[in-house]
Amino acid sequence: MPTWRIVDLSKTKNLRKIWLVNPSLIRPLMTNAIELRRVRKTFGKNVAVNDVDLTVPQGSIYGFIGPNGSGKTTTLRMILRIFQPDSGEVVVLGRPQGDTADDRLGYLPEERGLYKRMKVRELLTYYAQLKGYKDCKPEIDMWLERLGATVWVNKKIDSLSKGMAQKIQFISAVVAKPELVILDEPFSGLDPVNMESLREAILSLREHGTTIIFSTHDMDMAEQMCDSVFMIFRGNKVLDGTMNEIRANYASDRVRVAFGQQREWPDISGVEQLQAKGRYFDAQLVDPSRSQELLQQLVQTGDLQHFEIVKPSLHDIFVSIAKPSENQPEENEELVA
Amino acid sequence: MNKILTIALREYKAMVATKTFLLSIVMMPILMLGGLFAIRLLNNVGEVKERKIVVADSSGQMYSVLEVAAAGRNTMIDEMFDENGNPMGGDSDIGGGGPSFNKAEKFLLEKQEGPLTDELLIELSNKVRNQELYGFIEIPEGIVSSPTENPVKFYSQDSGLSPARRWIQGVIAGAVKNERLANANIDPTIVAQASLPVQVQGLGLVSQASDGSVTDAKEKDELTAIFLPMGVMMLMFMIIFMASQPMLESVLEEKSQRIAEVLLGSANPFQLMSGKLLGSVAGSVTIFTIYASGIFFVAMKQGYTASFPVATLPWFVIFQVLGVLFYASLFLAVGASVTQLKEAQSMLLPVWMLLMAPMFIWIFIVQDPNGSVATWFSLIPPVTPTTMLLRMSTGQTIPIWQPILGFVLTSLATVFVVMLAGRIFRVGILWQGKTPKLSEIIRWGLRG
Repeated sequence: MPTWRIVDLSKTKNLRKIWLVNPSLIRPLMTNAIELRRVRKTFGKNVAVNDVDLTVPQGSIYGFIGPNGSGKTTTLRMILRIFQPDSGEVVVLGRPQGDTADDRLGYLPEERGLYKRMKVRELLTYYAQLKGYKDCKPEIDMWLERLGATVWVNKKIDSLSKGMAQKIQFISAVVAKPELVILDEPFSGLDPVNMESLREAILSLREHGTTIIFSTHDMDMAEQMCDSVFMIFRGNKVLDGTMNEIRANYASDRVRVAFGQQREWPDISGVEQLQAKGRYFDAQLVDPSRSQELLQQLVQTGDLQHFEIVKPSLHDIFVSIAKPSENQPEENEELVA
Repeated sequence: MNKILTIALREYKAMVATKTFLLSIVMMPILMLGGLFAIRLLNNVGEVKERKIVVADSSGQMYSVLEVAAAGRNTMIDEMFDENGNPMGGDSDIGGGGPSFNKAEKFLLEKQEGPLTDELLIELSNKVRNQELYGFIEIPEGIVSSPTENPVKFYSQDSGLSPARRWIQGVIAGAVKNERLANANIDPTIVAQASLPVQVQGLGLVSQASDGSVTDAKEKDELTAIFLPMGVMMLMFMIIFMASQPMLESVLEEKSQRIAEVLLGSANPFQLMSGKLLGSVAGSVTIFTIYASGIFFVAMKQGYTASFPVATLPWFVIFQVLGVLFYASLFLAVGASVTQLKEAQSMLLPVWMLLMAPMFIWIFIVQDPNGSVATWFSLIPPVTPTTMLLRMSTGQTIPIWQPILGFVLTSLATVFVVMLAGRIFRVGILWQGKTPKLSEIIRWGLRG
């Protein structure tokens, strides 16, 4: 005989009632904004997304990276419910299925998605209402002011500059106060000043508990902004984790060395992938724990000018995965779980 | 449902609140009334031409007749037109080959002894070529006794269409008839009386009013018999076109500007398409309301209220809605399948043919609204909205089961087309790159 008790599920938007439920049926409180479970999507013979697992915790900024045509957009479209997966499960904001994107989800597409002949306020109101957010005027005014676009409120979209249109596109994605926002290349077309104000806006969204999926080709920006990064390549997940986890698991530190006079690498072993870059030598340690030993050996040459342990950047990791080379791991092999 | 309404409202505003829409709504009646005004204006600008014609009369009887007839005709034209050649009003009917609207031809005859030799024929022909003459007539000797074996020959540059030829034919035929009657001792006035034509007046049907009195049958004129059905057909075509065409542009914009992706991030393709169709129907009802009230106002002013087909109005709205749904969903499907307007145009050719088909056969339908051609055509769903209304507006009684069957068939066809178009729309809206083949689009429609 189950015990019945009163549970308040008011935090989930579509269950704003007090329900009498069997506790065994209650799902644990939602802590993940997105969960992909062995999700697969094919188009004809082409496998766009191959059994991908992913968990995006609530309130995080999650970077989605990957070369063009690698399955990134397909994954985003499955989260948006534009595509349905062939197999696996896509759970978005606690909902395991649906044929329409959740109203609590905002989306900024990579390319412009604005009606040219509509006025700014009219357009933002339309996009907010499509998300079921009727009383959107204060929110629109707040965002326009925040991004310095108030004077454009009654202008038609086709009279806006590229940067201004990008800001309006951003506002259209966040105007309905979404719990989860997907931003596909949000900084494209922005000058450094506008880029900074948009970056601050995105960070403040996170402070208010909004989960942000940030899809970009700008690795420096991804490294700066994201708590975690997910990389998809040829339909397979190849990276997933925090920046520290990725660095620790994927690429070992490299050393950078420069000599005063010497232009040849001395007869010192323990390194591989040695590359000469101007007066510097870049090399990979065979055993990363023996960096001190290498330093001592180099000092003994009497000509050492520079010794540095270089952390791999996300850019390096991305290029090393996406660039075809002999050292590249086998296709379809998952590098980091 | 809220999303569908939100989308419908935007589509409606995008269609109706544009300068193009307002312009086309205003321009259409201006063009139509402007056309009538232009005809009136042209009627007041006239031209009188003098045609010099040589008559070679071998019979010796016809020249004098022609001369008298030409003199009479020329005097009449002088009375009808001022010295600048502009008509002065009044009835312009002066018989076969007479002046029409604003043009008149005076005939100046010149006698030539016949018969015409080859040299003379060439000489006269050259004169016509040099525009010294308009033409010449050769009247054979035996014209009265055996006119079929001896035809009158009229030579001119435009003898086939020439009013002069018709006039000459009328005058000589009359003269030959009178000559033969005289030879047979019959008084021509008796024959003229016996030949008076009988008029058959076209009337509608008599009906009984609620108080038992019998209302008189109304006289059926050209307006109700031809122009009213044609006007109704044109109105239906125009409304379907004006409400469907913007759908193509709207989808193309959403595709090319990648708006579709944003919209599909908020609503599913079904909601998107339903909203668009609803907006389109609302737009069509607006156009109908504007035109119907405008036409009613003009009809009232001109005293044609009785001819206004009030009873067919509900049917008009029903078939208009079905027609708009049918064609707008086809336009949406095509718009979603292509990336450029140019590609859409070739794909829309069959749709255009369907939409315009009634225009090619309307006259047969109006002539016999209950005939088999009219009945069958009005039951083929893509052309039902236009042809059924065309039949109904002729004023003839159409068996009630026919519009009902037409409605049922068109509704079924519309549901089918909307579903098919919906599937094409769902796949096509995210399709980028090269335009798919027609077979591929049909496959999307059938398999989804």
